[in-house]
Order: sequence, then structure tokens, then C-alpha cells
Amino acid sequence: MSRRTLIQLCIYGAVCLAILLVPTFVDDAFILNKYGRYLVFGILAIALSLSWGYTGILNLGQATCFGLGSYCMAMALKLRTVPVHTGSEGLPDFMVWNNVETLPWFWVPFHSLSFALIAGIAVPVLFAMLLGWFMFRGRITGVYVAIITLATMVVVNLLIIDQQRFTGGFNGITDLAQLEIMGFTFDAYGSSSYYLIAGTLTVCLFFALAVTKSKAGLIMQAIRDHEDRVRYFGYDVAFFKIFAFSVSAGIAGVAGMLYTIVMEFASPTFLGVSLSLSVVIWCAVGGRQSLLGAMLGAIIVTGMQGALSESEAFLDTWMLIMGFVFVLVVLLLPKGLAGAVEMLVDRLFRREKPQSERSGSPQAAGQTGAAE
Amino acid sequence: MNARPNDDHLVMRDILVSFNGFHAIEGFNFTVGKGELRCLIGPNGAGKTTALDLICGKIKVTAGNILFKGKSLNKLEEHQIAQAGIGRKFQVPSVFKELTVRENLEVAYCKSTSVLANAVRFGHRSEDDSFEKLAELVGLQDAMDRSAGELSHGQTQWLEIALLLAQDPELILMDEPTAGMTHHETQKTAELFNRLKGNHTLIVVEHDMGFVKEIGDVISVMHQGKMLAEGSVTEIEQNAAVKDAYLGSGGISGA
Amino acid sequence: MDAVLPQLITGLSIASILLLVALGLAIIYGTTGVINLAHGEFVMLGAYSAWMLQTVIGLGLLESLVIIFLMVALLGWLVERGVIRHLYKRPLDTILATWGIGVIAQQAIRLTAGGELRYVEMPSLLAGSVPIFGVETSLFRVFILVLAAALFGLTWYLMYRTDIGMKLRAITQNREMASCFGINSRRIYSLTFAYGAGLAGLAGALVSPLKSVSPEMGTTYVIDAFMVVVLGGVESLIGTIVSSAILGQLTGFLAFYSNDTMAKAVTLLAIVILIRFRPQGLFSKKVRA
Repeated sequence: MSRRTLIQLCIYGAVCLAILLVPTFVDDAFILNKYGRYLVFGILAIALSLSWGYTGILNLGQATCFGLGSYCMAMALKLRTVPVHTGSEGLPDFMVWNNVETLPWFWVPFHSLSFALIAGIAVPVLFAMLLGWFMFRGRITGVYVAIITLATMVVVNLLIIDQQRFTGGFNGITDLAQLEIMGFTFDAYGSSSYYLIAGTLTVCLFFALAVTKSKAGLIMQAIRDHEDRVRYFGYDVAFFKIFAFSVSAGIAGVAGMLYTIVMEFASPTFLGVSLSLSVVIWCAVGGRQSLLGAMLGAIIVTGMQGALSESEAFLDTWMLIMGFVFVLVVLLLPKGLAGAVEMLVDRLFRREKPQSERSGSPQAAGQTGAAE
Repeated sequence: MNARPNDDHLVMRDILVSFNGFHAIEGFNFTVGKGELRCLIGPNGAGKTTALDLICGKIKVTAGNILFKGKSLNKLEEHQIAQAGIGRKFQVPSVFKELTVRENLEVAYCKSTSVLANAVRFGHRSEDDSFEKLAELVGLQDAMDRSAGELSHGQTQWLEIALLLAQDPELILMDEPTAGMTHHETQKTAELFNRLKGNHTLIVVEHDMGFVKEIGDVISVMHQGKMLAEGSVTEIEQNAAVKDAYLGSGGISGA
Repeated sequence: MDAVLPQLITGLSIASILLLVALGLAIIYGTTGVINLAHGEFVMLGAYSAWMLQTVIGLGLLESLVIIFLMVALLGWLVERGVIRHLYKRPLDTILATWGIGVIAQQAIRLTAGGELRYVEMPSLLAGSVPIFGVETSLFRVFILVLAAALFGLTWYLMYRTDIGMKLRAITQNREMASCFGINSRRIYSLTFAYGAGLAGLAGALVSPLKSVSPEMGTTYVIDAFMVVVLGGVESLIGTIVSSAILGQLTGFLAFYSNDTMAKAVTLLAIVILIRFRPQGLFSKKVRA
């Protein structure tokens, strides 16, 4: 293991530890709930960093998988609410209002919580595999990937809104039970949920880090750099892209499940265009080619947004500022804040500048000599 | 080593390539034996690069057949052709600019190409040593941890050659490997190629006749999408048709 | 027959609006290769300009059209100069930057004009209706149709009959070659962007009396316009008009026979499939990669 990787591991570990220690200093339930939400967005940003930052797949529909995960969790929790909310014979209330008589087949397995927990990851992953196969087998790249993912998200969103009888439509799925695993209840407004989220965040972050450090992760970055060249080394580019896309989708699904737990509902806005745009902004600002940067970008941006959201006018101004920041970052800092920090650290500790070269071609050596 | 025809490594038979009705290559036949180093020359627009594109799958034949070790490549995708044992160096040096030299070599070292095998694979000591050796061979040992985008043009050429060595394919296609190299570097490349032949089959597209004389046993000359002549350096230099083809571009040595 | 004719006329009206909105996007995309996600916001700004000129100065819609075109065109020019110009080598980043510009425009309007719906009055001259083949049709819609056709004609003239259009096509074909002949591609790009933005502003002003004006209105337009461009293919003005007609009729038809949401979902799906199998559009010649 290189020294660089070791330092990286230490920084990642320290950040996660700091996040896990927050409840020892804060015991306001509302604040913890809010912080939990920011962390969930941090997980979502990790997911996008993996596909966009590391593999070059600009997924403008990142919220699709987030939303699918969130709905999986909401369906299970809806079926566990006390009968007063679920209408007659265990039917969810909105189905009763829409004259649905029996529980639709795709709701039935969600009586089992374990099924829901698995589905919250498996459904987004399967969705991503299908979409990825559809796009990458056809060698769709760049801008077209962005447009297809965006359009697909809008389609899924419209379907959920349209099928009100089964999905709750615009209102989403509300009045949920609290998550209970092996007799332990996760209260949305309590440290238990915060720990659940912070713990999951740590696992996701290190899992994603392991993926990027593996040879597959290296090949992903090579694909981002020069997709065609990778093919001539014998790698099936489409499969590696589908892999990155699906892992990213799985992590987004996990984030979605956690979001339902802290928000206590699921809504079509969870797979909306504006959330997807926000994820892209977080990653861009924090640094899409750094998992930690993207995650912190999300936490900081949403944190500041949360602090300012007390007043409507403030929030609008904030969005305006974010718009400017985003455009500036795209223009001037393609690697985001993480890239800027890395550059600074390099300047400070690696005094020697990247020299042109001395062992290779004589001209280059001549140039260096002239500069000295 | 010269036990042809049983040992034909690569065979291209009656190749036709057509772009929107324009026949870039027509009636092209080409055979290379195992362990041979074959130089492919010809005036500009003769179809040399297109021929390499066909072998590595970048372009598909309109008609005809390409056989590698007796198996047809026609229906294979680029990565399958690479897996079959064909590697390529491009005319414009193509490396991964955002990755370091070491990472470039790691990507090129592709003993296993499946996604899952690579997902649970992390750096190995033994590989690292062989990468160091490769870098030393091409003079990049001091640049291992620099990103490839920082390298000079000549160094990028060397890096791509090193990538091919890491990939270790049976058949190596080289598209103008010495372009932009100094005389000394060209010399070094010639030595390297002479060492490679025998163990590897090489097809080298080159303009620099000095270099071709240095390395080539057999030279194939392409002209207007067809095979014009084949033979030793002296045979080619005396061939009337070749002289005609090069007429106007300053003779064979000036091309 | 009774049901078909009104249906066709509705479709034609939708198509003319689509053409208005898509024309600017198509020109920008075709020339510079930039997918301008802020295009919808240019449309929205055009609509707000119309509203502002009407409420503040009391200028009627027809009188304001030229001013609106110039205002939004100037804005487009500034955006190209300040942002887009630096990103031509990073196509993926132009998507992000234009998206960001869209957000800025939306928020700026929300903060200045407010988030509530605004209404623009129809010019009294065009408030009536005329019978077309026995179908009572709004005069204003006929006006839009005529104007859309006229603007299309003008654009075609600019592209194929003027010096600047010739240069523009030369750049589209091969930027390096064109600059060898002394064509200043930077200036042409700025002008193209400004013209495209101006057209979008005009489109926004023209639809403002038909629909309510809001900061979010651009989002739907950019999707619609994008669909037209994808269907029509890059670099093909004729493709743009044909695909506007197809999509206009299709939307009218789908809205009539099924609900709006599903109609939208189905068209989007069609676009996705189209991009997958024919990214160059339906009406473009296949280009050699």
C-alpha cells in the first residue's frame, strides 16, 4: 500500500469518526434529524462521484435510483403502520380512497422488511443494469448519456405520479411506521437514526473507496480518460461502465432508503429534476473526482442551504448564489474544492515543481536546462 | 521459424473496405508468419492505417476475411480481438493522460479482463517489479508517479510502447512508432523491435526508410488500397512499380 | 371529418410554437455543438420581458417584439462571451454550465418579478377568431403560425443566402479549415448564440398570452425543443420544421386520446429510444465517424 493511500485512508477515517461523534455534542432531536438528512445527501454524492467523477458517466438522473430506494422503504413501512392509517384490511389509506380493493401484487412482498431492505438496493441496481446495458452496449456516450438518464428519470417520475392508485401519486406515501429491526426502533428524531445513517455513510464511503482502488476502479478511470483505448487492451468497456453505473445505483438506493427513514415519507420529488441537479452541483463544487470531496460538498452545501432556509427570500437568494458558484466552478475548478485543496497541498509539501523530464528526449531535457 | 504456410499468424484475404461507396481498400491480400517483423509502407493514403484498423477491429471489412491463428476476426469486437492476442500502438500516441505512468501500465497489464475479477484485485508486489523493469526499458523509471499528461511527446510514444509490452500480445501492430523521435531514440526503438521479433509477430507501419532498413526482413508496399509489392529491402528498392507509385512524392526514401 | 380537421389545426398550432422554440436551440446546437439547457430560460425571459414592457411602460405585445428579441439576444451574446466560449472543448461541461445559467435566470426572476403567475394580454387586434375551412380558429394562433413560418424563412435565408451564413456552415463543416480561410469562428459563434437566444425570447413573448408566465415555464419548453432537435437532426433546418410538425400533430393527437401525463411519458420514451438507435436524428445523412 502506497504512502498516499495510507494518508488518504487516515483522512477518510478521521472524517467518518468526526461525523459519528456528532451526537455526543448535539442532543437536539430536530438538529440531529437535519444533520442526518445532510449525511444522506452525502451518500448520494458518493454515488454520483463514482459514476461521473471516476467513470465519466454524467448521470443526470441520479435521483431515479435514490427515489426507487426510498419508495421500497416507504412501501414496507406503510404496510407496518397501525391500522388507523392503513384503512380496512391492511390496505394503505390512499388505496382505499382510490377504491383499490386488494393489495396489488408488487406490494405484497413488502410485508417482509428483509425483502424491502434487499429490494431497496436490488431494484435500483437492476434498473441501472438494464438502462446501462441499453445505453453502453450501443456505445452511447457523453452528452447523450446525460440526456437519456434525465429523460428516463422524468418518465419514471411521471409514471409514479400517474399511477396514483398504487403509488400515492403527487402526495407520495405518507404516515409511515418507524423502522424496527430485531426489536430496535429507529426514531427519525433521535440519535438512533443518526447513528444508522452515519454508520451506513462510513460503510458506503469505504466501499466506494475500495472500488476505486481496485483494478476495476483503475480501468473505470482509464475509460473516463480514453474510452476507445481501453478496448484495445481487451476490456469490455460496456461491462465496466454497467458495473460502475450499477454500483452507483445501489449506493443511491441505500441513500434513498435512509432518506425515507429520516423524512418519514416518500414523494415523487425524490426522483425529481431539481434533486438530480443538486447532486451534480454538490459533486462539482466538492470535487467529483474525490469521493470525500463530493460527500463533503453535499454536506456543506445542503447544510448552508438548511441554515438559510428559515426565510423564503433567503432560500431564493441562496439558489441564485449556488447557480453562480456552480457556473464558476465548472469554468474555473473542474476538479472542485477537493482538487483545489490537493493542488495547494502539493505546492506546500512537494516543493519541487513537476519537471519537464531529463531521462527521455534530449529536446525536453534541453528545455528544462534552459529554464534552470 | 520460416515454416510457412503452416505458421501463418495473420491472413487477410480479398479485403474490401467501402466508405459510402468509396473503396478505401480493395482486393487486398496480406499474410504474416509467426514471429515475423513485417514493415508496411506506402505513399500517403495507400491504406496502411486502414489495414491496421481492420486487424484490431476499429473498422469492419465490407467483404473478405481476416484470420488470426486460423480463426476469423470478422465478427469479433475490439476487446475480443485484443483478448485473442492483438495489441496496437496508435499513430497519435494514445495513453491515459489523467493516470500516472504506473497506473497506465497496470491498466495495460490485462491478464484478466473480466469485471468481477478486477473488482477484487488490488496492486501486487510482483507486478510492481515488472512495471519498474518496463519503465526502465523505455527510460521512464523516474516518471512512474507522474501523470501521463505531463510527459513530452517522445516520452508518450515510449509509454505507449511500454503499455504494449505490458499487454504482451502475440501480434503487435505499430503505427509510425518513431514519429517525433530523435535519431538516438529511433535507434533504440530499432534495437527493441529486433529483440521482440521471434517471440512476437510485429507489423510496423513506417515512413522512415532508414528505420525500415534497420528492422525489416520483409517489406510490404501498399498503394491505393492494394498490395503493390512484397520482398526484401533491396528487392523493393529496385521494384519498378514501387518507384512509379512513389513518383511525385520524392522517391521511396523521401516519403 | 368533423373531428379530424380541428384536430389537425390544433396540431398545426402546437407545431408552430414548437418550431419557434426549437429553431434557436437547433441553430445553436447545430453550429456550436452546445446543448443549451438554458434555452428554456431564454424563452421564459422573453415572456417576462413582454409582461414587464406591458405592465411598466404599457407597450403592447406586437410593438415590443423587436425590443424583446434584441434584449434576449444581447443576454445570449453575453452568456456566450462570458461562459460558453471557454467550454467548447469540454462539451459535457457546457451542459452543466448552461444548466447553472438556467438556475441563475430562474432565481433572478423569482427574486425580482416574484414567483407568482403573470398574465400577458393578447393584442386586441388579434383577439378574435377566423373560420378556416369552417373551423373557428383564434386569430392569434394564426398569427403565430405565420410568424413562425416567416422566422423560419428568414433563418433559412440567413443560413443559405448570406455571407455570414456561408461562413457559419463552413465552420460547422470543419472549424480548422474555416479558420485557415480567415473566418473568425469566435465572432460567428457569438452571433449565432445571440440569434438563437433572441429567437427563444421571441418565442416566449409570443406564447405568453396563451399560457401563464412563471419562472419555471422554461423547463417544459426546453424538453420539447430538445425533442424537436433530436428528432430533426443536427444541421438540418428542414429536419427541424418536419419534426416540429410531426411532434405537434403527435402531441395534439395524444393529448386528445389519452391523458397528458402519459402522453408526455410516451414521447420521452420515444426520444430515449431514438437517441439510442439514431443519435444523428431522423433527417440527417449518416456521417462517417
